[in-house]
Amino acid sequence: MVVNFNYMNILINNSRCTRQIYATPPGDLAIWFFIFAELLAFGIFFVAYAFARAHNVALFDESQQHLNRTSGAINTLVLITGSYFMVRAVESIKQGYANQCARWIGAAIGFGALFLLIKSFEFYSKFSDGITLSTNTFYMFYLSLTIFHFMHVILGMVILVAVMIKAKQGGYSAENHTGVETGAAYWHMVDLLWIILFPLIYVIH
Amino acid sequence: MNKLIRPSTLIWLVLMLLTVATYAIGEAGVGGTAMMLTVLGIAVLKVQMVANYFMELRHTRWLWRGIVLGWLVSVTGLIAIAYLTTIK
Amino acid sequence: MQYKSQAVAKPYFIAAIGLFLGQILFGLIMGYQYVVGDFLFPAIPFNVARMVHTNLLIVWILFGFMGSAYYLIPEEAETELFSPKLAWLMFWVFLVAGALTIVGYLTVPYATLASMTGNDILATMGREFLEQPLPTKVGIVIVALVFLFNISMTVLKGRKTSISLVLLLGLWGLAIFFLFSFYNPSNLVLDKYFWWWTVHLWVEGVWELILGAMLAFVLIKITGVDREVIEKWLYIIIAMTLITGIIGTGHHYFWIGTPEYWQWFGSVFSALEPIPFFMMTVFAFNMVNRRRREHPNKVATLWALGTGVMSFLGAGVWGFLHTLAPVNFYTHGTQITAAHGHMAFYGAYVMVNLTMISYAMPMLRGRSANSRASQLMEMWAFWLMTISIVCITLFLTAAGILQIWLQRMGTSPMSFMDAQDQIRIFYWAREFAGLVFLVGLVLYIWSFFFKNSEAQAAG
Repeated sequence: MVVNFNYMNILINNSRCTRQIYATPPGDLAIWFFIFAELLAFGIFFVAYAFARAHNVALFDESQQHLNRTSGAINTLVLITGSYFMVRAVESIKQGYANQCARWIGAAIGFGALFLLIKSFEFYSKFSDGITLSTNTFYMFYLSLTIFHFMHVILGMVILVAVMIKAKQGGYSAENHTGVETGAAYWHMVDLLWIILFPLIYVIH
Repeated sequence: MNKLIRPSTLIWLVLMLLTVATYAIGEAGVGGTAMMLTVLGIAVLKVQMVANYFMELRHTRWLWRGIVLGWLVSVTGLIAIAYLTTIK
Repeated sequence: MQYKSQAVAKPYFIAAIGLFLGQILFGLIMGYQYVVGDFLFPAIPFNVARMVHTNLLIVWILFGFMGSAYYLIPEEAETELFSPKLAWLMFWVFLVAGALTIVGYLTVPYATLASMTGNDILATMGREFLEQPLPTKVGIVIVALVFLFNISMTVLKGRKTSISLVLLLGLWGLAIFFLFSFYNPSNLVLDKYFWWWTVHLWVEGVWELILGAMLAFVLIKITGVDREVIEKWLYIIIAMTLITGIIGTGHHYFWIGTPEYWQWFGSVFSALEPIPFFMMTVFAFNMVNRRRREHPNKVATLWALGTGVMSFLGAGVWGFLHTLAPVNFYTHGTQITAAHGHMAFYGAYVMVNLTMISYAMPMLRGRSANSRASQLMEMWAFWLMTISIVCITLFLTAAGILQIWLQRMGTSPMSFMDAQDQIRIFYWAREFAGLVFLVGLVLYIWSFFFKNSEAQAAG
């Protein structure tokens, strides 16, 4: 295992646990600070949604019924699957299969695009109903949370495209693949946020 | 070690099933505290699976797992509190 | 000093400190007018003193930024400045334009100044902080563009480091967002909306990038910590700054006629704005604790640490205090804002410039640090200025709380002027703290001339 600055690992000598315990999470440590900041921002928004709803339950429950729960659920499956593909990409590169890794990343990007497509149909239907950020508080939250998330999917895809290109060019190996793990960590975060966003906005009432 | 199925594939399948469960609960049209807590509980489970297995935090120090878990518990806890305050 | 052309930073620093002194003097005049309303009337009315106070602040900070860039960029790029002559020329253009503007403010009524300087061609005047006449604004753009051309060319021909790239990004952002000062829609809501694109996106956006780059540069020099470590911190801080700062603009859009969703966007994102400042504090202390060398310039280290702490307190804590929409509903436009403004500007942008000047000035004068006696005096200046700004902030916060209580709460709130009468005591206390600040500033200036003959040669 290569030891570079970002990816220091410590072997914990413990009779019960002989696994390697890493001092820092996989990927570049900087991306983790970024991820935590994103979690915090979305977290505050999730909680704000819940408390805003508490002030106006009837409006929220009524508006929620107009959301397309099926497309939200399909999108959850799409993101989880895209996430799984990135796990496979990391597993591939750890065994040194750079081309296989690039193909898995390509599949993850494809599922990201599928998510964007389905979400765009949802947005199109809402916008053609004349719904805006100012329609009511529920739609303000629905639109801002999903649009912020939408932009994160795009950013994740941009990162993955860069990683995929480098993987194809043989830029990563079984020993040195911090970049793949960095991209994967961000991509999983996008999935993780949606896993809370979907039940919160689409299901719970 | 069980070679029948990759650990990551197993996690993926469970995540898919849990998503279908959430959707089914939504389609069933039930509401109320039990439904809210079940759906939130499923979300907590799924986030933990993504964080620990997909993001591979289970091989890291507790600090990193703790940050994500702490975030998750506070966010879902506050959401649950906000919903519970509306039930008289 | 490693490159000859870095010397051009010196006049910029001297001008910055000179204008800083002017800013403080006008601050004292205005602070006195808070309690003795007709002081110096009609020669210098309150609105003129306020304009001069805030405009001098902005101009001297810009001088500081430019001087810092001229000092920092050659050393980072490991090459001489593209054109020191151009830098000298722009120095005089900017200084003369700035001086003429201040003279204009002080000698003719503002409306006369507006008609004299072509405000009827393109109306840009009359807005807080952007009061400059049209020719001055155009001059600022020209100076900024030439300056950016000069340092961008230097970076392009030399080594490209994270610090110089972040600094360039900040400085280009500074120039681009200033362009919104030329856009003045007649709709008052739109006017304010875009006014903040200059004002907010400067101080809570691109200026923070400049601040981060300057602090990182000084910390590398005085601590000897690996560049990679410092650059990693810089990137994280910058990312956080941009995430929180850009949408955080929303906290200025609360009660001015913009859509309601800004109350949510503004509250949530600006509540996160203290994070990058907090990280800056941790960063500064962490780097100093991990230092690999004992730099003789102790006082520059003190300023760097002070920047971390005071920017977090002033911008982070005092900003958060009134950034949530339900709180801001009561605090909007009270002395709480003034308290935050004083500590945030001092803690972030004044202190980072003084850090840079403290580090670079001895180098520019051919020694690695000032003498011990001189540094001791500068440390006194540090504590006097810092403590008095803390006092000013606390007095204004107290004044603000009382003002809100009397004027905006309860069943029979007082009128504005009646409430002002009740908080005079805090204004007197603030004026006294301001005098202490002036003493600190004079000591700061004096320290550069004090017992430096036996100081060690440049190392």
